[in-house]
Amino acid sequence: MSNQVKTTSSQRIPNGAAIAAYLSAMIGLLVLSLSALLSEISEPMKNWIHEVGKLWILGAEGIGPYSGKETLGLVGWLFSWLILNKVLRKKELSGGFWLVIFLVGIGIATTLIWPPIWAIFGATH
Amino acid sequence: MTKVPKKSDSNLKSEEKLEGVEGTKSERPPHYSWSTRHLLLVVALLITVALVIVLSTAPFAAILGPSHHALAAALHGLFSFLFLVVSTVGLYLAFRLFTGRIRSFPDLQLASTTMAVLSLITIVFGNWIYIAYRAKDPKAPRTYFLENMPEVHKVFFEFKEFAALFTLPLSVAAAFILWRYGSEILDKTWTRKAVSILIALNFFYLMIAFGLGAAVAKLKGI
Repeated sequence: MSNQVKTTSSQRIPNGAAIAAYLSAMIGLLVLSLSALLSEISEPMKNWIHEVGKLWILGAEGIGPYSGKETLGLVGWLFSWLILNKVLRKKELSGGFWLVIFLVGIGIATTLIWPPIWAIFGATH
Repeated sequence: MTKVPKKSDSNLKSEEKLEGVEGTKSERPPHYSWSTRHLLLVVALLITVALVIVLSTAPFAAILGPSHHALAAALHGLFSFLFLVVSTVGLYLAFRLFTGRIRSFPDLQLASTTMAVLSLITIVFGNWIYIAYRAKDPKAPRTYFLENMPEVHKVFFEFKEFAALFTLPLSVAAAFILWRYGSEILDKTWTRKAVSILIALNFFYLMIAFGLGAAVAKLKGI
């Protein structure tokens, strides 16, 4: 059997589901990076984020606030995917526009996890 | 007039002649009828025998080191390396997808799914050894770095631990889109490009995490 890809015009799935998938990944990563920043600039936030991680991650006591940041990122990602998929899956949207939004969001998330940036926001890291 | 056999002729395959082999398939001795399945079984048997011998005789404790976290560290390293290998394959296929010239689309579906699974496993083992990394122990890497070269932990390790997490949603999103749309994605220019970019970004963040992780482990192991 050939691996050559064939497409048919009869099966058209709107691109909304794809956009929902990568936008939710972006949202999850933004939540992760924001929680990393907040944890560095506020001691109460750091403690709260650690408590969130302790709710379900095994060994969270030893992992520290990182467990809570992972949890918040995961919740932000999956919860936003659930909502965005429900809203967008039947829609045909501008793929180029939303891809640019996604890339900008990923750029912001990456900037926010670069530790020297935290000092700008008052972190005493 | 000579009769030209059709490709759909069911007898053609079983009666075809192999170059250098006497007789048709039905006339050949049994060893010529061995299939790929037989070959795989023999290879699997040989690997099993080799593993049994190695596992029962090799001094693994010596190579892993005396640390209680040696096994977790080894597994984290092993899976991150496998993740890197699969992501490299995925990156090439993603490039072919980006240019619209991919021929092995199912391979990309498989690679992206494997990437997502390996990302999750690597993160889980990473969490496990992170406990040892930040333990309140003078010999723990974090304590060592903060006392001797704080920027290694405060900049590079902190960045690496978050960059590693980026790979999971990116690879899962890529795999989801590839399975959801199938080959229809080839008709959708921006969706095709989006998947290629997701896989390229996955590779980028993996390289950061892998490179910095290896460098940190070289400076002070667990």
